[in-house]
Amino acid sequence: MTISISMNGISTTLRRAGWRLLLGGGIYITLFIVALLAPQLAPHAADTQHLEQTLLPPFWMDGGHTDYLLGTDVLGRDILSQLIYGARVTAIVVVLAPLGAALTGSCLGLMAGYLRGWTEKVIMTLVEIWMAFPSVVLAMLLMVALMPGFTSVILAIILVDWTRFCRVIRGEVITWRDRDFVKAARLSGASHLSVMVSDLLPVVRPTLMVLITLEMATAIMAESILSFVGMSVGPDTPSWGAMIARSLNTVFSAPWQLVPPMAAIVITIFAAMMLGTGLRFSRREQTATGDEVLV
Amino acid sequence: MTPPVLSVDALSVRLNMAGETVDLLHDLTFSLHKGETLAVVGESGAGKSMLTRVLAQQLPDNMQVSHGAVYFKGENLLALPAKQQRQITGREITYIPQEPMVALNPVMTIGQQFSEYLQHLGMNKKRRHAETLTALEDVGLQDGASLLKRYPHQLSGGQCQRIMIALAFISQPALVICDEATTALDAVNQNRVLSLIRRCQKKYDTAVLFITHDISLAASLSEQVMVMYAGELMEFGLSNSVLNNPRHPYTQALMQSRPAITGPWQPLIPLQGHMPGGSELQQLKGCRFQSRCRFAGEDCTNRIQPRLLDDDSHLVRCLITPSDEYHPSSPDEEDTFSEHYALGLLGTSEPFLRAENISKDYISGRFARRSRKRALKDVSFTLAPGEFVAVVGESGSGKSTLAHTLMGLEKKHGGQIYLHDKALGHSESEWRRRIGCIQMVFQNPNSALNPARTTASLMTQPMEYRRFLPSERRQRAQALAHAVGLNKKLLPCLPQDLSGGQRQRVNIGRSLCDIPQLLIADEIVSGLDVSVQAQILNLLLRLRREFKISLLLISHDLAVVRYLCSRVLVMHQGEIVESGPPQQVFSSPQHPYTKTLVNASRSAEGLEPVQ
Repeated sequence: MTISISMNGISTTLRRAGWRLLLGGGIYITLFIVALLAPQLAPHAADTQHLEQTLLPPFWMDGGHTDYLLGTDVLGRDILSQLIYGARVTAIVVVLAPLGAALTGSCLGLMAGYLRGWTEKVIMTLVEIWMAFPSVVLAMLLMVALMPGFTSVILAIILVDWTRFCRVIRGEVITWRDRDFVKAARLSGASHLSVMVSDLLPVVRPTLMVLITLEMATAIMAESILSFVGMSVGPDTPSWGAMIARSLNTVFSAPWQLVPPMAAIVITIFAAMMLGTGLRFSRREQTATGDEVLV
Repeated sequence: MTPPVLSVDALSVRLNMAGETVDLLHDLTFSLHKGETLAVVGESGAGKSMLTRVLAQQLPDNMQVSHGAVYFKGENLLALPAKQQRQITGREITYIPQEPMVALNPVMTIGQQFSEYLQHLGMNKKRRHAETLTALEDVGLQDGASLLKRYPHQLSGGQCQRIMIALAFISQPALVICDEATTALDAVNQNRVLSLIRRCQKKYDTAVLFITHDISLAASLSEQVMVMYAGELMEFGLSNSVLNNPRHPYTQALMQSRPAITGPWQPLIPLQGHMPGGSELQQLKGCRFQSRCRFAGEDCTNRIQPRLLDDDSHLVRCLITPSDEYHPSSPDEEDTFSEHYALGLLGTSEPFLRAENISKDYISGRFARRSRKRALKDVSFTLAPGEFVAVVGESGSGKSTLAHTLMGLEKKHGGQIYLHDKALGHSESEWRRRIGCIQMVFQNPNSALNPARTTASLMTQPMEYRRFLPSERRQRAQALAHAVGLNKKLLPCLPQDLSGGQRQRVNIGRSLCDIPQLLIADEIVSGLDVSVQAQILNLLLRLRREFKISLLLISHDLAVVRYLCSRVLVMHQGEIVESGPPQQVFSSPQHPYTKTLVNASRSAEGLEPVQ
């Protein structure tokens, strides 16, 4: 019973993962596949305009057309195809932005929490000043400074959200750093760097994972907001936020346009939440089993 | 005749695990009368805490009482309506927890905590204050009024402990449950707490259920002792009778794994294996101790009822009545445990480590508010290869500071440490030299083992920072596992999957990875069960013979010190006040502080004080 916990196979991992992890993970795997195969999946090119067939409703409504399953926008572009191509932006943002923020934030957080002293003071003062800016305004300012574009979107999200990682990881590291195993690692001959990397990082990893999933949701939201205000990727690259922004102009005559991009955003954020909750639950279950062994 | 305060009748507690059931407590029967003390003895996993949980109605959802009854003053506690149960458990049955600092609410003042509790008991405001002050006076806290305005963190551990005792007795309960209340304390403080509890007990004529893992302590303070193993009662009887004439093999094993503070040096015979838990219990038929019992026979797989022995008050759940003596089963064992080997003439060669006039201050505050507190004052001693030296003293006497200073984890403010006749400083190369020769085993394996590393990675951690092949590391891990007596199957496990004793072995194994000359061991056996403690103590003796390591043992347990060490240093307020061979120091202590220490330990064993 005790040994099986550490040697669990894939099947037990899946079973313990629970439906939340499976659901969240499944939605993201679908998202990545759709993004990867967008040219094959999309019925039309995203930017082809069919000016004689503008503002078509979805095919099941009156006046709909099966060529355009979810209808067309004001320039006659296929909404389904835009949605599929828009998944590419989301898929890249949802991977790179949280990873970048996690890398920056947890490096600084580890340093602040472990080294303490003036290092911590400098880092935490920076974090506090940083957090004093409203995040959306800061992101827009950064976009203006960086020139709109794909790399800038990711960079802006990282620069806005690294502070959260920094704070949480620092707090967690502080609770662990006074444990004897840190001293024991030093006595084994570890340098301060290796204590941080090979002793403290593995211990805070579960927290880091949960934070990353939360950041995935935030990143999607941030990208949509930036596209909505027209400060994200250029108009030639389809993105869900930009679709919402454009459809607002004709929202009273063609309200159905709003639904697909909004649903896509809501579902991906929901999936990120499920991943986070699932990870948290599976951790709790593990500790619960650990207790049971001691009974 | 009045009914007993507490009477437990054939109590069984059942655990449901994924459709299967197992009795964690099985067929437990005992009773406790007014003003009496009953000590429940057993190692972790014996079901002691389960018993208190039944009494406090705090069983987890997957467990329930499957059989039997608990009578409190003649009423079946388990059958009462919930409201009445709560009234009884709050007013009539109270509880002294193990860690007073954790048990007190950190955001409420002491006064508020008392008043909250007394309000539950239905006492009016005026009386509450007066009652609180009397209760505090009872436990020797004279300055009650000012104490009530403070928060728990502003008090010392001893004061918190006293407050917990006052809280437990303030409602004049019929029964007080004392759950390992003195486990973490040194002998002097333990004595203080025990005498307080006894004083309060006498005043209110309370029955006390004293839960402990220390059988000699149990016998010295109570009239009756109950020995539990794996959820079953193994032996029950008057203290004297159980202590002097243990009849159950488990009780005997417990006695044999505990080093004595007087008498000739005797080898400890630790119990091998571990206590069956959860799913193992389900497969076990008959006696639950049989797998570790030296006398186990075929009959032991049958169901065994407790039987009364000749003198009518001594109850034993065993078929055989084994003789008292122990015969070494193999010549090898005999060889290992001769006194000559254990306390032999190993410390006679030239010392390799000399500490001269080490002093250290703790400095707090800055500038004008800066204050210094002496932690170490002119501490000098030497250590020879293979020598086991103990440092004893109460908490706060500077023992741990000395260990940390030697190890270089804290900076000293004066004096010099010479390792192989070269002074040790704080430069990087000297740090390497230091950790190559001196290693430390930390007190608490739960905090000293990284929860994210496997056993193998933990034990060979020192190899991680130099160039080694993975295969070399694997080999070393296996060799270390063998050296500390750890099953090789446990190498890929995380610390959370190990038992307390196994964790402590990993902890020791890591410090042995590069085979240091000196091991500094800070209270490494204080939190362990006696049988595990005996295993670790014998392991240390074996390691001395194999690797010729020296040991600086920091301990508050004089019996352990006497078992292992050939020299003892007594520390008091940062100074070494007395040193010498343990037999001499413990039989004729010179310094007044040493006398207090020795007498406290002797009284916990039920021995007369020395002059």
